[in-house]
Amino acid sequence: MFVAGIDIGSTITKIVIKNETEILSTVITRTGAEHRRMALQVMTDALANCDLSFESLECIVATGYGRINVPFADQQVTEITCHMRGVHWLFPTVRTIIDVGGQDSKGIKVKDGRQVDFIMNDKCAAGTGRFFEVIGDVLGVKLEEIGPISLRSEKPADISSLCTIFAEQEALLRLSEGTSVEDILAGLLKANAARIHAMVSKIRIEKDVAMTGGGAKNIGLVKALEQKIGFPMVLPPEPLITGALGAALIAGETARSLRTEELRAKKEKRRLEAVTFFDKDSVR
Amino acid sequence: MDANKKGLAKANEIYNSRGAYAREVKKQGKRVFGYFCCYPPIELLSALDIVPVRILGDMDEPITLADNCLPPVMCIFCRSAFDIGMKGQYDYFDGFVGAHACDGAERTSFIWSNYIKSPCNFHLDIPHTTHNSAVDFFKEQIEYFKAELEKSAGEEIKPEALRKAISDHNHQRALVRQLYELRKPDPPLLTGTEMLKILIAIMGMSVAEGNLLLTEVIGEVKTRENVQEKKRRLMIWGSLIDNAVFTELIESSGLNIVIEDTAIGTRPFWHDIVETEDPLQGVAEHYLKEVLCPRTFRDSGSNYAQDSDSRFGYLRDFAKYWKVDGVFANIIRNCDVHGYEAPVVKDYLTDLGLPVIMIEQDYSTTSLASLRTRFQAFAETIGS
Repeated sequence: MFVAGIDIGSTITKIVIKNETEILSTVITRTGAEHRRMALQVMTDALANCDLSFESLECIVATGYGRINVPFADQQVTEITCHMRGVHWLFPTVRTIIDVGGQDSKGIKVKDGRQVDFIMNDKCAAGTGRFFEVIGDVLGVKLEEIGPISLRSEKPADISSLCTIFAEQEALLRLSEGTSVEDILAGLLKANAARIHAMVSKIRIEKDVAMTGGGAKNIGLVKALEQKIGFPMVLPPEPLITGALGAALIAGETARSLRTEELRAKKEKRRLEAVTFFDKDSVR
Repeated sequence: MDANKKGLAKANEIYNSRGAYAREVKKQGKRVFGYFCCYPPIELLSALDIVPVRILGDMDEPITLADNCLPPVMCIFCRSAFDIGMKGQYDYFDGFVGAHACDGAERTSFIWSNYIKSPCNFHLDIPHTTHNSAVDFFKEQIEYFKAELEKSAGEEIKPEALRKAISDHNHQRALVRQLYELRKPDPPLLTGTEMLKILIAIMGMSVAEGNLLLTEVIGEVKTRENVQEKKRRLMIWGSLIDNAVFTELIESSGLNIVIEDTAIGTRPFWHDIVETEDPLQGVAEHYLKEVLCPRTFRDSGSNYAQDSDSRFGYLRDFAKYWKVDGVFANIIRNCDVHGYEAPVVKDYLTDLGLPVIMIEQDYSTTSLASLRTRFQAFAETIGS
């Protein structure tokens, strides 16, 4: 049985195709402005990767910020539930998940494979990937280099403001004072880690802690958070896909819970196409 | 206004055009007074045949004019209400009743009376504790209010008129509680959105008209088939919600709102005014002791657990009898009274085994969409 989970995030779109036991194909790409076409694109690519036909998928679950823009999904589930499911499948001992995405950050509490609480920041760029994109631009550092460069710092700069705009100004001020880029980056990471830590602490951080999302690919942020938490976190092999993985796991459960004819009826309605607002039939 | 509309359709129409309705009422020769919050005793207005109209904000209207007069760090609801007041949306008021409900409402009331001209202005001082001396003080304030109203109306409030008004409003409270009974079944016979519209409608009508509308609605709702599917059952606690777009968002995210402990919910209606020998004694006791907004401080119990239980035991009962699966603690940004109380309420409810989602929101329909993921995730959390 083949199923798919697709996670259209604000910044990155991910897809996982799975059978009962293992991941067969994943695609990770930038969401961009063509939100609605991206679902079609990643699905086509992911199917080609594992040489499967669209019709062979028993169930498809969409998640993430753009979950309503996947016309061929059978079900929409929030990214909170999907991240939890994905992480729980990878690491059953995890009790707390910290997800730092492109546009929001969240904490999820897990107990016996169920989420019991969550907290989310989607109001402010501080503590999200967007913060580092902006700062990277200002300092002329690529997003993926921010973490490694920051680790060279011996004396992180004091950054008092976490408003992305003011932090940008403060970073420039520190530069003009002669502070090194690595110290500024280390200071910014420390300040963001403190903010994320404070938010997630509201739902009580308990061992084991997993980190997911683009933020987990920033080694500087991971280290700064671990310092705040006081112990190491577990990181998935690919931190970007836990949401899509969770969606695929839920798709598997749904497929198993339905009778053959119910599944067939669902499949018949499904079309592999980009959503458009002009064709009534393809819009959900 | 369509005179043929009845029950829910009528409530919906009045909800959508409160101003037009109030202006029609005025054409019939009645006076209309605006009042802030659920603390001014509107029974006194009804006793003079004045129609009390609850002042609300507008989540659809960006705040502009109010920012010239009120600091942007204060309660957005108060700022919004004042903003639309400045923009003339309440220009039909024959009188304005401000209240020291919370500090935001107090400041707004004073500034309102300076900027928005009205033939009659009254500011009701309301103490923040429930001790006997506070009740005495409050009763005195209500007496001042009564005298001011009588002066403005050019007639005295006769004791029998006041008793009748109290009895009519008590009847209204009983009718609203009957509506709440209709939300006990699963799925509830009445949606949270319908309830909100009904309550907002009656908060802009004379008590007699309001009671008629409630009676029609009860008759209509009692007999109808299930209007919604079974979903997780949600209780709302906290700052008020006065826009159906918000309740619609919640109810389309996998949740049915079954009861709301808010100022446009159970709070103004849950207890009757006891008909005392001096009617104002019962009025003062009711508003100070039985309208359960955290703006009034009630210390009770010698430790944290006892204190919580004595203050929030009613929430435990709501949860039990309305079979609540989870609680949404709604905080309008910068609403101090609910912001300070929320952690204790969350603690108390969590200890009872009730999941709580606490959201501080911006009182703006444009910023609601981002909350959908949270409500859906909450529904998934309590549904798993």
